[in-house]
This record gives sequence, C-alpha cells and structure tokens, in this order.
Amino acid sequence: MVAQLLPHAVLIAFSAAILLPLLWLLRVALTDKTTAYKIPPEWGQASIGNFVEIFTGYPFFNYFINSVTVAIGATVIALPLAAAIAYAFARYNTGGMSLRLVVLSSQMLPPVILVLPLFTLFLKAQLLNSLVGLIAAHLTISLPFLAWLLVAFFDRNIALVEEAARVDGATRLQTFLRITLPVAAPGILAAGLLSFILSWNEFLFALILSGPQTNTLPVGLSSFQTHRGVDISLLSAATICAILPVFVLLPFMRRYLIKGLSLGALK
Amino acid sequence: MLLSPATGGNLTLTQRDRRFGYLLTAPGLAVLLVVITFPLFFTVFTSFYDYTLLTPNHDTFIGGENYQEAADEEYLPGSLWVTVKFVLASVVIEFIIGFIVALSLNATDRFKTVYYLILLAPLLINPVVVGLLWRMLLHSELGIVNYAIGLVGIRPVSWLGDPTIAFWTVVLTDIWHQVSFMAILLLAGLAALPREPYEAARMDGASPLRCFFYITLPLMRPVIFVALLLRMIFAIKTFDIVFIMTKGGPGTATDIISYFIYRAAFFGLDIGRASAMAVGLLIIIIVLTALLYRYMRSLN
Repeated sequence: MVAQLLPHAVLIAFSAAILLPLLWLLRVALTDKTTAYKIPPEWGQASIGNFVEIFTGYPFFNYFINSVTVAIGATVIALPLAAAIAYAFARYNTGGMSLRLVVLSSQMLPPVILVLPLFTLFLKAQLLNSLVGLIAAHLTISLPFLAWLLVAFFDRNIALVEEAARVDGATRLQTFLRITLPVAAPGILAAGLLSFILSWNEFLFALILSGPQTNTLPVGLSSFQTHRGVDISLLSAATICAILPVFVLLPFMRRYLIKGLSLGALK
Repeated sequence: MLLSPATGGNLTLTQRDRRFGYLLTAPGLAVLLVVITFPLFFTVFTSFYDYTLLTPNHDTFIGGENYQEAADEEYLPGSLWVTVKFVLASVVIEFIIGFIVALSLNATDRFKTVYYLILLAPLLINPVVVGLLWRMLLHSELGIVNYAIGLVGIRPVSWLGDPTIAFWTVVLTDIWHQVSFMAILLLAGLAALPREPYEAARMDGASPLRCFFYITLPLMRPVIFVALLLRMIFAIKTFDIVFIMTKGGPGTATDIISYFIYRAAFFGLDIGRASAMAVGLLIIIIVLTALLYRYMRSLN
C-alpha cells in the first residue's frame, strides 16, 4: 500500500510546486492594480482589464508581432535546409557520425560567445536593430537543432517506400520531394513548432541585436516599466501572453518533445 | 538529375548516392558556415585586436594582450568560481530531485499522462518569464512567499538582497525551470531497463533499496553520465535568469561567466577583451562536449 502511494505523494508535491506559482501568476494578472499589491492577499473581482491595457497602452502588440516574425522567419528558413541535411544524414550517411556531431556541437555553445561576433559583424553590415539580422542570429539555434532532430524522422519505414519508388524509375530528388517529404511531413511540422518555441523564448541575441523598433517579447518584458515603476498586475498579464502560445502548441508536439529537448541524446 | 547527365553518366550507384548526399547538405551547411563557423573564427580574430566600442575596428593588432588583461582581471576568478558553484549546485540538486521524480513516474500508471504534462510545462516557459515570476513571488515585502512563511512563524527572508541567499535563490529558480529536463532524461533511461534482473533479485528476496543500488544504478550509469554532462553544458549557458533577477549581484554573488563576459563587452565596451574570455569559455565547452560525445557513443 505504502509502496503504491509514495510515488503519487512525490508526484503530487512536485506538480504542486510547478503549478502553484503559475496559478498565482494568473491570479495576479486577473486582479486590479491596487488589489494585486495587497498583503495579506485580497480576492477582488477577476477582470481582463490588464490584458487589454498592455496591448492598448504599451507597445506589447509590437513586441508580439516582432517575436512572431522572427520565430516564423527563422523556422521557415531553417526547416527545408535542415530537412535536406537530415535526409542526407539518415539515408546517405553524408559526412558520417563526425559531421552529425559537429552540427550538434553548435547547440552546446553559450549564446554569449556567438553574440559578440554577431554584434561586431552586424555593426559593420548595418544589420543591428533589424528583424533580418535577428532572424539570421536565430538560425544559429534553429538550423542545427532541426537538422539533428529530423534525422530520426527519415527512418527505415519510409526507406522501404522510397526503394519502391526508385525501382519504378523515380530519381533520388523526386523520391525525396514527392515520397519522403509528404510521409514525414507531420513530424517535420511538429519539429518546426519546437524550433518556433526556441526562437520565441530566445533572449540574449534579441537583447543585444534588436533596437526599440525590433524588440521581441522577452526583451520588452525584461525592460517593462510603467510611469509609476513596475506594475505587477500588468507585468503578469504580459508574461501570461508570452507563455500562452507555447501551451497552445504543446499538444501538437508532445510526441517529439522528449527527443527535441534531449537533443536526441536519448530516444 | 541535378547535374547534367553527361557528367553523371559514368558514375557508379554509390558515387551518385554520395554526390546526392553532398548536394542535399550543401545549402544548409553553407548557411551554418556563415552564421556560426565564421563568427566563431571572427571572435578568435577579434581577441587579438584592440577592438572597443569606442574604436570599433581591427586597426590595432595587440597579440595576446587581451588574454593577459583578461587573466589579470580582478573579478574573473570570482566569476569563474560562482559559475562552478552554480553549475555544480543546480545540476546535483536537479539530479537528485529529477531521479526521485523519474523513479516515481516509472512506478505509476494512473494519472501518468497528467503528471507528465505538468512536468513538461516549465521547460517550455520563457526563461525571462521564469525570472520575472520568481522575482515577483520572492519580493521581500510584497511577495507571497514571505507572507506564506510568515503564517508559520518564519521571519521574512531577503531572497535577492543578501549575497549568499541570492545565490541560492537563483539556483532554486534554475532548478524549478530545469529539473524536469533531468527527470525526463532519467525516465527515458529507466523505461528502457531490462526486467529480468529485477525478477531474479526478487526471487532471491532482495529489498527495493538493494535493487536500486545494485541493479538500477549500475545499469543506468551511461544515461546518468549523459544527463549530467548535457545539463552541465546547458547550465554554463545560463544568462537570462541572472539578468532578470540579480544583474550579477548583490556585489558579485551571482556574476556567472556569461553575464561577466556580457558586461565586459557592453558595459566595459571592450569587445576585444570580452572575445578573449569568450575564446577561453569556448575551449572549456569543447572539452566538455568531447567528453559528452564519448559517452553518447557508448550509449547507442
């Protein structure tokens, strides 16, 4: 009996430790400004006024659009390039294990190492404060990540279909474009969502390389001040907006999440 | 095909396969060369020049002077020590909690999906949000945590004001954010363990504790190494929560290396010297990554 209950006790405590802070964040976001600061806490009428205000009174809509643009831009550019690399790795073993590991290595780099040269190079190329530059910077994360992740999607099952197509006279390229990609599409799109989230959550590149017009959501959040200082109910509403899209996307990519997060170190 | 049939006509099948593979990888690898490899070499290049934001050019070659200056930097040893402490503390505690959670999840069937989804949640949350969230919860006068511990008679804690406590606050915030990563990796390892040794051990009347130490731990060793190393490499990258919660302070209590280099570059304005430090950090990462790959090969 104890042996059966103990795991649940551990997991309930652990889940509470994760959920309670998030629920409190939601509670503050739904509370009006003065009540939010009351200690001991008071429970006023819930309202979505804070959510309206951050989009109407502050440039959060702008941040939001910038974040979406950069995340989609980097993912859309990286996805086909990465799919091609991954397919060559999986089917033709191009470059062998060594090349695969070199590609993976870029995931280990602390971003501060890359942001220094990107800053100086962008300064020369006048790419600072531009969304194009930020998208290029995010490619350093999304392209190797996707290339490594997608190798697993071109497994033996698809290879059998490919062989049939080849016997019927399709070229290698035709087989890849017409047979392999459509079959692997759901997995590739899920991986794309994960890469979108990596971009969405990225902070240091955006902090250094973007300007007032091109700030992304995390940068906007980090410097959020009202004329009366930090307002926690507004800030909470803004942070909820920053994490909401991620949770909306979660169900679509759950199956690929483990592999993605562990960088394929484990299957 | 992609090349003209005239040149491709005499190639064997394997050669054509190989050529197709190169053609597929070429565009992506070219992009990676431009956005990663070239900038990395550019950092090494810049580290030998007197490149500051006041004189942003490569006019003055100064050899190893930036490296000398970085080595003489008064606060660099302190920052390295903070980084080592931070990485060890967070990874070790995450490992212990993560292992307990993974073992619990591995032993349950009911509600497993629910627990699992909750477990995944923090990993997807923006680190800036995590920092802001905990800064709000731990505010010394207005935070709910100090109010809650006050209810059971504990005096308010200055979570981010006292150097020692602030360091542990950042560690705990990182644990909240990243412990699930460890749990997921270890759970994947546990799920792949063979069942036979456990059945044999039960026949012999071994206790669950003995099973854990004599069967689970030894079998899990490669997975544990990979999980620890991977998490260590990622912990060295930590920047966001320090930027949000403490800005390296109070004093230099949470001045981890990424933040230190960031400050040298963008507050000290000395990109050359910051680049020299970045090259040093790069070497450390390369060594750890090489170690990781050795264990990953033994795993597959």
